[in-house]
Amino acid sequence: MSEHAADYCKPELMACCGAREIKDHNLVLVGTGFPTMSANIARYTHAPHARLMQESGVYDAQPLRPALSVGDPCLNPGAAMIGGLVEIMGMFLQAGWVDIGFLSGSQVDKFGNINTTVIGDYAQPKSRLPGSGGANPIGSLAKKILIIALHDTRRLTERVDFITTPGYIDGPGARERWGLPPDTGPEVIITNKAVMRFDKATGEAYLESYHPDTSVEEVVKLTPWKLNVADDVHETEPPRVEEIRALREILDPNRMIRIYEGRGYV
Amino acid sequence: MSKVMSMKQAIAKHVNDGDFLFIGGYICRTPFAAIHEIIRQQKKDLTVTRSNAADDFDMMIGAGVVKRFVATFLSLGFYGLGRCYRRSLEQGIPHRIEVEEYTNLSLPMMLMAGSMGMPFIPVKDMAGSDLLNVKSFMGDNKYKIIDSPFDGAKTVLVPALNPDLAIVHVQQADEDGNAQIWGIGGDCQVGANAAKKVIVTCERIVSREVIGKDPSRTIVPDFKVVAVVEEPFCAHPGYTPGFYDFDFAFGNLYKNASSTVEGFQAFLDEWVYGVTGRAKYIEHYIQKMGYGAFRNLQAKFDYGYPVSYAY
Repeated sequence: MSEHAADYCKPELMACCGAREIKDHNLVLVGTGFPTMSANIARYTHAPHARLMQESGVYDAQPLRPALSVGDPCLNPGAAMIGGLVEIMGMFLQAGWVDIGFLSGSQVDKFGNINTTVIGDYAQPKSRLPGSGGANPIGSLAKKILIIALHDTRRLTERVDFITTPGYIDGPGARERWGLPPDTGPEVIITNKAVMRFDKATGEAYLESYHPDTSVEEVVKLTPWKLNVADDVHETEPPRVEEIRALREILDPNRMIRIYEGRGYV
Repeated sequence: MSKVMSMKQAIAKHVNDGDFLFIGGYICRTPFAAIHEIIRQQKKDLTVTRSNAADDFDMMIGAGVVKRFVATFLSLGFYGLGRCYRRSLEQGIPHRIEVEEYTNLSLPMMLMAGSMGMPFIPVKDMAGSDLLNVKSFMGDNKYKIIDSPFDGAKTVLVPALNPDLAIVHVQQADEDGNAQIWGIGGDCQVGANAAKKVIVTCERIVSREVIGKDPSRTIVPDFKVVAVVEEPFCAHPGYTPGFYDFDFAFGNLYKNASSTVEGFQAFLDEWVYGVTGRAKYIEHYIQKMGYGAFRNLQAKFDYGYPVSYAY
């Protein structure tokens, strides 16, 4: 039984939830923020041979500060390989080498479809978002997708306004019908309230664990679809001492991760 | 004949209204000085492309030089959504640009196909998403879905792209245009080689002999290059590995300025229209931010590890 940290912030807990999904020797395609933190926590605890890559072209970077973007200068010196998008997205991702992809979105639905394109009508957008970038290919082609989202009835939705990145699309069998590679797709949605895991039989996310300061009832209330609850639903395991030590002593000594508290991850 | 010329000459001579431009960069080595010159010369009706566009594309859209955008993504990254991009698509300010949407896999593959003279290329993404349900100026030629002639599997095909011109920023080039980079590549190499001609901007011009010391770093050969522009600090507020860091404070300045039409216009007046070129821009930067801020961006020098090609 591991000892748990007494004091932590919500983004740190979420980063630890992500880390626990990563196995040793996994190849992880990351963005910035949580994903990088998660993958690195895993490397410093149970998965020392996990390796990270960024779509911009970097494999196994050795940054001396937390990267603020996938093009960050600190990703260059010390990396094992630097190429470009064709190498990472083509030779590694499309060719089927990537085990884990991390994504986040402005809207996420119960099938794990993600919208980063537009809120409202596409032709007359209420809010125009950045677009796919690497999200669509990562969600289509990585073996296991971890989704990070804010838990409220605006970000989580029964159906996204626009499927930028396919989850299970409209239910079981849809990925296969579209010719996406077998045994790929969303694994969990990690929010600031809970961990929701996907039932591969229905393609829907169900409640696996609720974070220490919340409850099944609260999570169900904050989820806009009829959320199934696991028989063995339980409280999320708080950050372990060794996970927090990796974060605060090595990866993020200035606790830059706290900027996510300002973005609502509380 | 040397291809070396000023940024002003290169843009005036090689960027025509209505052209299709690939502009390289991934925060890393963005040819920002060329973007400013395109805006200063008030080019019109451009079609622009790159995977993962950022503040530079946002600025061109806000300044009104862009008509069409072959896109995957546009944001200010750490600083949030692209304000000018939003105003264009949500409110038609200064006008509504046309956007054809792909991804950071499919667009580089389309450029790669273009660079190799292939007519189209299969990709394994976009299937099952709404990216297949929105088509703009490429119409039915945005993509095709076929049954693979080899195994019958449903396959998405996307067309090759061959831009009229590519503009890429590199660490060093010789006077004929052999261009060398190190660090994050993005889609710079495929984009440059897909284009019919290339403007190379560089931190320093070196001799052909220096290029030959490490020829594996060359991403574009001289025969594709029509202009070489020596423009130190060209990528600011982006960075160039080995030369200068990303300017976090300036990112904030642009975010705040571009939040309103007036603020964006004042930014252009100060940093683009108000200077004649990158040398004056640097002068203005130092006056406004202080020499310390400028000095702090300069990379610490690292000799690296010598490469031997001996036999």
